[in-house]
Amino acid sequence: MTRPPALEISALTVRYGDIVAVADLDLTIPAGSTVALLGPNGAGKSTIVNAVLGLLPVATGAVQILGRDPHEAVRAGCVGAMLQHGGLPSETKVGEVLALVRRSFPQQWALDDLLVTAGIDGLLGRPVEALSGGQRQRVLLALALAGAPPLLLLDEPTSAMDVEGRRAFWTTMRGLAERGHTVVFATHHLDEADAVADRVVVIADGRVIADGSAAQVKSGVAGRTISFTADPGRRLDGLPAVSAVTWHGDTVTLATADADATLRALLSDDGSLPDLEVRGASLEDAVLSLTSTIGATR
Amino acid sequence: MNPLFAFQLRRVGRNRQYLLFTVLLPALFTVFFTKIFGGLAAGPAEYQEEAARYMVSMMAYGGLGAALGATIRISFDRASGWLRQLRVTPVSQTEVFGVDVAVGALLTLPSLVVVALVGRFVNDVQLDLSTWLTLVGALWAGSITFVALGLLIGLALDERAAGGAIGFVGVVLAALGGLWAPVEVFPDSMVTLAHAMPSYWYADLGRDIAAGTAPSGQAVLVLAGFTAGFAALAVLVARRRPLYAVAG
Repeated sequence: MTRPPALEISALTVRYGDIVAVADLDLTIPAGSTVALLGPNGAGKSTIVNAVLGLLPVATGAVQILGRDPHEAVRAGCVGAMLQHGGLPSETKVGEVLALVRRSFPQQWALDDLLVTAGIDGLLGRPVEALSGGQRQRVLLALALAGAPPLLLLDEPTSAMDVEGRRAFWTTMRGLAERGHTVVFATHHLDEADAVADRVVVIADGRVIADGSAAQVKSGVAGRTISFTADPGRRLDGLPAVSAVTWHGDTVTLATADADATLRALLSDDGSLPDLEVRGASLEDAVLSLTSTIGATR
Repeated sequence: MNPLFAFQLRRVGRNRQYLLFTVLLPALFTVFFTKIFGGLAAGPAEYQEEAARYMVSMMAYGGLGAALGATIRISFDRASGWLRQLRVTPVSQTEVFGVDVAVGALLTLPSLVVVALVGRFVNDVQLDLSTWLTLVGALWAGSITFVALGLLIGLALDERAAGGAIGFVGVVLAALGGLWAPVEVFPDSMVTLAHAMPSYWYADLGRDIAAGTAPSGQAVLVLAGFTAGFAALAVLVARRRPLYAVAG
């Protein structure tokens, strides 16, 4: 018998009234992988996470977590989640909340290891009201990990963390993946997706617009960026192969699928390109190019 | 003990202000009203009657206040995101509801007992031991009506509105239900209004028991009806806006 995938989403559509937040989405995540759901705010990442957990009514389609429906999987302790709108109860101490959640799961993450892994060592006796934003996030992570669940769903987990906290957090996540947990996280931080995930799924307008390793997503689109100094009034539309134009002061950056063709057109057009730079696209450029293409074709 | 029940109880126990006010206010009112109206009594028999009636009214007031105050806490837990967090653990929603009902029911008991003790030892209300026990037991059982009402308010309103709403609802139930001034002094139109209040029938249970008679079937039926109505509305609201829905 083959192991069921950690997460299988088929033909998922979620609507808020007339707005389609997720449109006919298919996504299969094998057990043991680390997957980033990457996209701008409002792309539908949180909606996907919430629908997977059964927190939202699904218009059509199906979600299976390790072969079970979402509600059943949550009740069986197959999933741990950090939600964007999750929170801690008032008039409690961290240790009490953690103990309650931990014992609700059929199996438990060893406490000493959990405290170190989530980075909340020394916080157990602290009232939840006295936690900083970053500590709060780490306590919520500890709750997600408490039952050593095979699937972890993390929705913008580092949003309240500083740079240091963020780095420590992702070291932890890589460790979890090595232990065989499946980690799915939503983020709009491209560096996080690039550094941690072995697979990046780019989401825009509730659809998957790219899916592969960070390197594949980068190479599959955009190709190169060309930047130079130009008079802000200069018209740059109609250049061949250009998918996005961005201005920073008088520096313009073009994302192009064919740098040769674009450069040739630029040179024949004007002849002078001060401070010219041509680079391989970053993941950020790739996503920008992908999402702006979607916008243009609507 | 159920871990969630112990957890919730410990949280309420930390809220000393809540505990103090739900117990203190009805206890003070019991002394206050009995001193004023008991002092007007023509003789010891009439004093006993007045003192017992005010004690029962204040037990009812304290019981309903404590039940409402305990159960609307569900709106705080929704607002903080805790109920949403709990929804992604194996803890079932039935358990969450069940525990809040049990905690609400348990928390009405201190108010009932303290007001009864004040009645007995400060105001010298004389009842048989079995009557005392039946009185506290019946008012404890009857408080389920206000547990259901508090849950309905806590589910329907956001946390700030719910706090204000139970202040208002508590005063309306107490004043119009004849807990502060007895229905006997009400004009006829207001007597009709009093009879439409669950609080009137709740205190009526206690008045009958304190007078040495069995509670009226009518009072039991009316309270059962209100409880069923509040519970049905609470279920309806919870279906439309689940516990784990984002607040607001």
